[in-house]
Amino acid sequence: MMLFENARLIDPASGRDEMGALRVRDGLIEEIGPDLESHDDEQVIDVKGAVLAPALIDMRCTADPASTGARGVDAAARAAAASGVATLVLSPESGGGFRTPEDIAAVNAAALTSAVRLYAAGLCVSSPEDMAEIGLMLRAGALYLGDGGQPVADTRLARRVLAYAGGFDAWVSLRPDDQGLSRGTVATESDLSMRLGLPARPAQSEAMAVKRDAALAALTGARLIFDRVTTREALDAAQTARKDGLEVAVTAPVSHLSFNEMDLGGLDPHYRLEPPLRSEDDRQALIDALSQGRIDAVVSDHVARTNESKAHPFPEAQAGSATLEALLPVLCGLVEDGRMSLADALRPVTSGPADILGLEQGRLNAGAPADLVVFDPHAPFVYGRGAMQCRAPSAFSGRRLFGRTLITIAEGAIIHQLEDE
Amino acid sequence: MERTGFAYDFPHDSLLSVGDLNPLDVQMIFKRARHHFDNARRGDKEGDTLKGLTQINLFFENSTRTLASFEIAAKRLGADVVNFAAGSASISKGESLDDTALTLTAMRPDVLVVRHKAAGAAAHFARVTGVPTVNAGDGAHEHPTQALLDAFTLTRRWGEVGGRRILIVGDILHSRVARSNVSLLNLLNAEVRLCGPATLLPADADRWGVSVFHDLDEALEGCDAVMALRIQKERMTGGLIPSDREYAALWGLTEDRLDRAAPDCLVMHPGPMNRGVEIDGALADDPERALILEQVESGVAVRSAILELITGRAPNSTIADMRSHDADGLGDGA
Repeated sequence: MMLFENARLIDPASGRDEMGALRVRDGLIEEIGPDLESHDDEQVIDVKGAVLAPALIDMRCTADPASTGARGVDAAARAAAASGVATLVLSPESGGGFRTPEDIAAVNAAALTSAVRLYAAGLCVSSPEDMAEIGLMLRAGALYLGDGGQPVADTRLARRVLAYAGGFDAWVSLRPDDQGLSRGTVATESDLSMRLGLPARPAQSEAMAVKRDAALAALTGARLIFDRVTTREALDAAQTARKDGLEVAVTAPVSHLSFNEMDLGGLDPHYRLEPPLRSEDDRQALIDALSQGRIDAVVSDHVARTNESKAHPFPEAQAGSATLEALLPVLCGLVEDGRMSLADALRPVTSGPADILGLEQGRLNAGAPADLVVFDPHAPFVYGRGAMQCRAPSAFSGRRLFGRTLITIAEGAIIHQLEDE
Repeated sequence: MERTGFAYDFPHDSLLSVGDLNPLDVQMIFKRARHHFDNARRGDKEGDTLKGLTQINLFFENSTRTLASFEIAAKRLGADVVNFAAGSASISKGESLDDTALTLTAMRPDVLVVRHKAAGAAAHFARVTGVPTVNAGDGAHEHPTQALLDAFTLTRRWGEVGGRRILIVGDILHSRVARSNVSLLNLLNAEVRLCGPATLLPADADRWGVSVFHDLDEALEGCDAVMALRIQKERMTGGLIPSDREYAALWGLTEDRLDRAAPDCLVMHPGPMNRGVEIDGALADDPERALILEQVESGVAVRSAILELITGRAPNSTIADMRSHDADGLGDGA
């Protein structure tokens, strides 16, 4: 048993934000109150006014046991625990594993020895022409199906995938990007990217795909996740789909809440991301949408690339960045900037994804799983200096961020505790 | 008490769609089919009702079983049968379908049996030639004789199909067998259910007077009969279904799954079967449940009956008194 005292309790699901105490027993939250009496047999932790919130849920972290091996998964899990994430959904990369029930079973096996809760999302297509074994993967425990970041260019196949998965009431996560416009490009079309001579796609490519996929969702009745929406126009299109009564969800990548295309100026391969960085107007639209509750989940979109994969000129470097340890700090930064309340900032990494995926964790109430994070939302630090768990190349390297995770708890057990400096 | 006689003649000179039939027509077909079925079982396979008639089987799509069934059904009744099958010379010579039809009509056939990959092909032939025509399958549209033989097989077991719950599982989207069965079973007041992956169910199938399911276990609840449809190998690619093992795991009929159905649930398949995919091999061979070979046997009898009725050669092709058809119940117990 554990008693957390003197905590600023934040529960995004209910909007609670008040000082109080919380007791954990048998892996569950037993009680919450302004002032709980401690029992003799329990560990009392005075968090000294720090925030106590549901631990974070990251719906999209690319780590594939088949390609990165158990060590890669383990490294991601440690980075997650160090940054307040207790639920990690391992997502497929196009061309990676996660297309058979055996692949999902491999993640389930890794989950047995992992400190954080590990789940898998399955690939919905096994090739540009074929559907993957969606039904068997769901049976094996896949939380949702995705395209692995490689948009399904063939509209007929996209329709079939949505229809088929809809038969199981499963969520399908599609990366909205019109392949006819975006194939072979590495940046968003703009004055800057044109001056830099980068092959670029128009930002509209994203909105066009959102509209296509929304039409297919209406046709098939499927539950659709617009995976990593990053432009104003696409956010509006997704909101229209929602208003039309479609069962859709919107996710946003944490990097795009921080960076814009100006960060490409030095052609630093660390900023080679997919989707590519957008205009400042798009970034502001994303932050506004977040503060208005139009984004259901913020995802880390974490991928641990090797240093070699980034040892190339910008257009030839592999896309992707280590971001898990920036997820909570970026959200804290938005609160620090006065853009939204902490509860609003935390919702898309707690109850937001929990509601989509049907998970019990992600909320502070008696009887809920004791997946918790204690953090100081104001503590500044510089990414990459000192003890980062993940050493993979990151767009956040050298950035000043706010918010340090002090304690992470999963299923009632402390899985990370920041040592006193 | 005598009621005024009511005469009803079999009114069709072609069988193109189940939708053309009313329940009395079906009764007449079944009554005559029962006669042929029983005769064949007794070893009495010689008839002469179609003597002197020429039947052309025009099969533009590959078929062995349906073609053989129509051929035997006609020959047993003394008809002269000519088969004109896919790959025949004139099809590959680029002749238009209408020219083929008119050429054959000039040979004065009495019945055409047509199978073609295009919906409406049999009706087209009937219109162009004016010759009595049986639709032996037109695209994904209709296969009326298959539906009639399926319902006949069930009627023989049960007395009637009305009030029974019947499930069709598999590739409904591409299946003419399913479409004809849905029409006929609805006509006969059975409760029809369809089940399959969403990619193999037609849009708006719930408006066909059926209940639509994606989960086989749910769909099987309380069913009196279940009909598995063949999964074509080419459906495994192109994103309709992912693999045969997934199909078998989720929509394959097995003995265990039938626990959800009525205790004596019967199992049907129009053939040819993919054992281990849409139907478990042991289940297909289960003599208590599987009607699959009986369906084939019924097929010849039902087709004989249809050929007789559309050519006006069936004895008693008139129901003289409405009451008599009640007394002609078809069930084994009747």
